[in-house]
Amino acid sequence: MSTPASTADGAAPGRADDSSGVNPWRRFLAIDERENFIAWSQTLTGRLLIYLTAIVAVATYFPWWESALVVSAAMAAAYAPNFRNPILFTATWVAAFLEMGLAENRILRDIGIVLQQEQVTNVAPIALAAAFLLLVMVGAWASLDFVRRRPKSFLARRPLVTLLAVEVLLFSLTTLDVMQGLPRVVLWSMLVVLTPYVWFLPYAIVDQRARDASPPLLQLAVLRPFWSPSYLPFGKGAAFLRKKLSKTPRDVAITQLKAVKLLLWSNALLAVKTAMAWLFVEQMQIPSVELALDAFLGSQPYPITVGWSALILSTANYALKIAMWTGLFIGIARLAAYRLPRGCWRPLESRTLMDYFNRFHYYFKELLVDFFFVPTFFTMFRKHPRLRMFFATFMAAGVGNAIWHFTWEIHLLATMGLAGAVETYTSYLFYCVVLATGIGISQVRANLGIRPSSTFFGRCYSFLFVWSFVVCLHVFGDESRNHTLGERLSFLASLFGVS
Amino acid sequence: MDVNAKQKLREFLKETLAKLADHKEFSDSESLFISGRLDSFSMMNLIMHLEESCGIDFSDLDFDVGLVDSVDDIEALVDSKT
Repeated sequence: MSTPASTADGAAPGRADDSSGVNPWRRFLAIDERENFIAWSQTLTGRLLIYLTAIVAVATYFPWWESALVVSAAMAAAYAPNFRNPILFTATWVAAFLEMGLAENRILRDIGIVLQQEQVTNVAPIALAAAFLLLVMVGAWASLDFVRRRPKSFLARRPLVTLLAVEVLLFSLTTLDVMQGLPRVVLWSMLVVLTPYVWFLPYAIVDQRARDASPPLLQLAVLRPFWSPSYLPFGKGAAFLRKKLSKTPRDVAITQLKAVKLLLWSNALLAVKTAMAWLFVEQMQIPSVELALDAFLGSQPYPITVGWSALILSTANYALKIAMWTGLFIGIARLAAYRLPRGCWRPLESRTLMDYFNRFHYYFKELLVDFFFVPTFFTMFRKHPRLRMFFATFMAAGVGNAIWHFTWEIHLLATMGLAGAVETYTSYLFYCVVLATGIGISQVRANLGIRPSSTFFGRCYSFLFVWSFVVCLHVFGDESRNHTLGERLSFLASLFGVS
Repeated sequence: MDVNAKQKLREFLKETLAKLADHKEFSDSESLFISGRLDSFSMMNLIMHLEESCGIDFSDLDFDVGLVDSVDDIEALVDSKT
């Protein structure tokens, strides 16, 4: 499993300073490398223009007030380094509480589902969510304090395993017969509010053992930070962020120019996605994979070419979605002077499956490497280098991937029960196994020194191989739970003319 | 870490960088992993190299990339473990 393959700018290793051979268009866009732009962006006018451009770019995704809040917080943190930690802390937790109150969100939806199931009408989901959010904040601070005092404790050594065990325990308690009505709602609320933090807190806990560990205020400030209120730590944790912090005014200016470029790139991808939807869905009537599957199962399949078109379009949409959102999140983090690598960096240039996984979703891969690959690599099959590499890769791209996605849809445990949630997850489990096996083999081949040809035809072959694999596998990775593994296998076979 | 072992380590790192088309020189204190010049795949190969050549058991370490980020870091790690 590869990398920190990107540099701070998102460039591949060994290419970071290679400006020869760069096409004129790229050179024109490289405003963050031109001294006059760097100097100008440190002036009041320059900063104001960066600020306004960023707000406009973020506002294509979020309401204006939210965009202004997020961009203001990021830029304030960049320009007031002495108050950086309190600014980040306030922004992150204000955003978390405001999100609860002002927007429809997954957490409120998930609590609402169980309130309805238990027919509890006298409690508002928002009250439960806010109370447990406060509890998570206090609990996170307490757990950091605990691991500082007990660095050899199990929580300190295996933070992710401990937190996942807490999740399992909470879920088990919700299934007890005595847990009916309000007690079940309360437990469930605790579970859904805690779940996203399970993927952030381990970074903070691990950092407590570092000699230059960041203070608790910063650790809490980057738990689901305001620039990416998702389930995935974009920017990892405080340890990574402090290594990537731009410190001089010049470096801050360069990082913010990179931020604006990335935010505009994210908007360009959004425009491409919208144009594709207009052209392929509205004008050419290409169905979704879901519809194509339904038609196939209803014995009225679309022609094979339409089936393939649906699959390729869906894969392209998914890739664009990842590239757009990672660009947005990392762009905002860069405004706060964190010179983070891009989350999705030229995935079409992937030469191997390992390379693809690294380029396509860098922070997801990093999470899996940090908490699944590395622990496995250091403890398992140490006498068998190839097996060791393959198994560690499998644990990350397969097991870690499956667990993360399962927690991402944790509400299905409430609506389907454990058996139903696992049964409908079979297809995604298959996806994880095949993906992990492919990446594992790719990793072992690289370890043996087998590298793809760098000729034109070699590059074409690599592109076709990697993206054919990704497109075919997308049949099983589609996020809906409406079709079984067998149905999806039959559908894929039908696209090859096998009925 | 004696001079010979350090020289071998530098050669190993130089070869690893060359495989990634990076032929630039590097100093003993220069960051190789955090800077992005080497990837985590290279890191795992380095770890296997250190396990074999220096007998370091990484399973009992609280591993952090900072432990092997530069030649100086690796030297400090090896000296603390041997």
